[in-house]
Amino acid sequence: MPNDDQKKIKLPRTAKGKKPQYFSDPTVDKLLSMVLTLMGELSVTRDRLDTVERLIEKHGLFKVDDIEHYEIPDDVNQVRTERRSAYIARVLKCVQDELDALQDQGSGKNVEMDD
Amino acid sequence: MIPLEPHDMLAERVHDEESRQSFVNDFRIHLASKVFPGNFPSYYKRVLPTFVKEKGREPKDRHEVRRVMTHDPYYSFWSAMQRSSQEMIWDSVIDSVERQLPNLIDKAKQPGTKGSLTLDPNLETPKYHTAADIHLQPGAYHSDQIDGDVAAGAMYDWGTYIYSMGGLGTGNNALGQITHGFFKNEFPDKKLDRVLDMGCTIGGSVTYWAQQMPETEFHAIDVGAPVLRYGHARAEALGAAVHFSQQNAEKTNFEDESFDLITSHILLHETSRTAIQNIFDESYRLLKPGGIMMHMDLPQAHGQPPLEGFLFEWEIYNNNEHFFAQLRDMDMPELCRKAGFKDENIHPKAAGAFWMEDQTPYADDSFEFPITIGIK
Repeated sequence: MPNDDQKKIKLPRTAKGKKPQYFSDPTVDKLLSMVLTLMGELSVTRDRLDTVERLIEKHGLFKVDDIEHYEIPDDVNQVRTERRSAYIARVLKCVQDELDALQDQGSGKNVEMDD
Repeated sequence: MIPLEPHDMLAERVHDEESRQSFVNDFRIHLASKVFPGNFPSYYKRVLPTFVKEKGREPKDRHEVRRVMTHDPYYSFWSAMQRSSQEMIWDSVIDSVERQLPNLIDKAKQPGTKGSLTLDPNLETPKYHTAADIHLQPGAYHSDQIDGDVAAGAMYDWGTYIYSMGGLGTGNNALGQITHGFFKNEFPDKKLDRVLDMGCTIGGSVTYWAQQMPETEFHAIDVGAPVLRYGHARAEALGAAVHFSQQNAEKTNFEDESFDLITSHILLHETSRTAIQNIFDESYRLLKPGGIMMHMDLPQAHGQPPLEGFLFEWEIYNNNEHFFAQLRDMDMPELCRKAGFKDENIHPKAAGAFWMEDQTPYADDSFEFPITIGIK
């Protein structure tokens, strides 16, 4: 039986042939591919979490129902709120970047910045 | 997603690989059932009225519909998502195949006890295979990445199953089940000593036939070495006797009048205008007197309304199915006549999932595959 490392090979990942452009701006084509891939990966992560929960229950550590009725302590709530806010800002960074650029460019009289 | 029935060559999937494939499968079901139907109101309520207003008439054929529909935002968005889903199929199967490739190659090297495998390293791969990767499968069906490669076959097994959203059945053999059921009904008394399946890829159809008719000698040819190696090992794993060889269906090395039945399963639309006539000529040469040719393929344009005709051709322009554009308008009985079949022995027929022995949850009973029959 050969060792997997000895014969490792990288298979091609892109098909030969012209790829059609679907939107007038090719950036939109790329964005859509990214969104759909993210959709898939989020689904994979949710399935994996589901497996973890089921295995935990199977092995008697706690019941999945405990998750549904988990009461969030104040300190945990605070941590989650901050993390959620940072996550939203990270995903929407490109929108913020555009706003920032507009602020720098214009007189700024219509928009007040916090900082 | 309901998984394929396991066999010894089928690539195993770890947790996330299975989950990723299930997502693509379910995403494609959603696209087909919830998003695709929106193309109809989009056309009839928006695109068609604009066209009529401008030209004073309706589009005369599917080509005119294509010129206006490809700019419709609803159609474009569906089309872009459909294309992405096709790319995602292969992306979801490559990881598991790549990871297990050395083991799969080793398993495929075991000589068969039932059938055989004959490769021809000097066979020239036709241009209609090398010009673009059919169905967007990276590396296509013919490329060897490593000695004894079976990756293309291993990817094809899971990939086509996900492509069909389960419609090919958990044995990945729905097309074989359809032609087999159709044949038994159409020719109940025909005795088969020797059968050839052309363009077999991993032999999903011919292996099913061989399982049903263990007394008959089955041969299967394809131009792609990696799919043949995989197909041979798969057939052995399923206990079916099939003799696989690497040959071009346009010109084989079999003797004149040596087969009782010649089949192909959605091979023709992957070839070319010259090749398809050669394949019919070769079929005629290889058939014994009274032998039957049965080429199954996808529906032609004749009789389809312009919008349906246009939508049906999505695969041509977005999934590397280029020759299908020409096949859609070709005269199949004329190909038979030119090959030597007499008029009274040419029968254009159709068959669908109702002929299958094992009904699958997603089998579409309303869809029919045309079958061109010629009796020598």
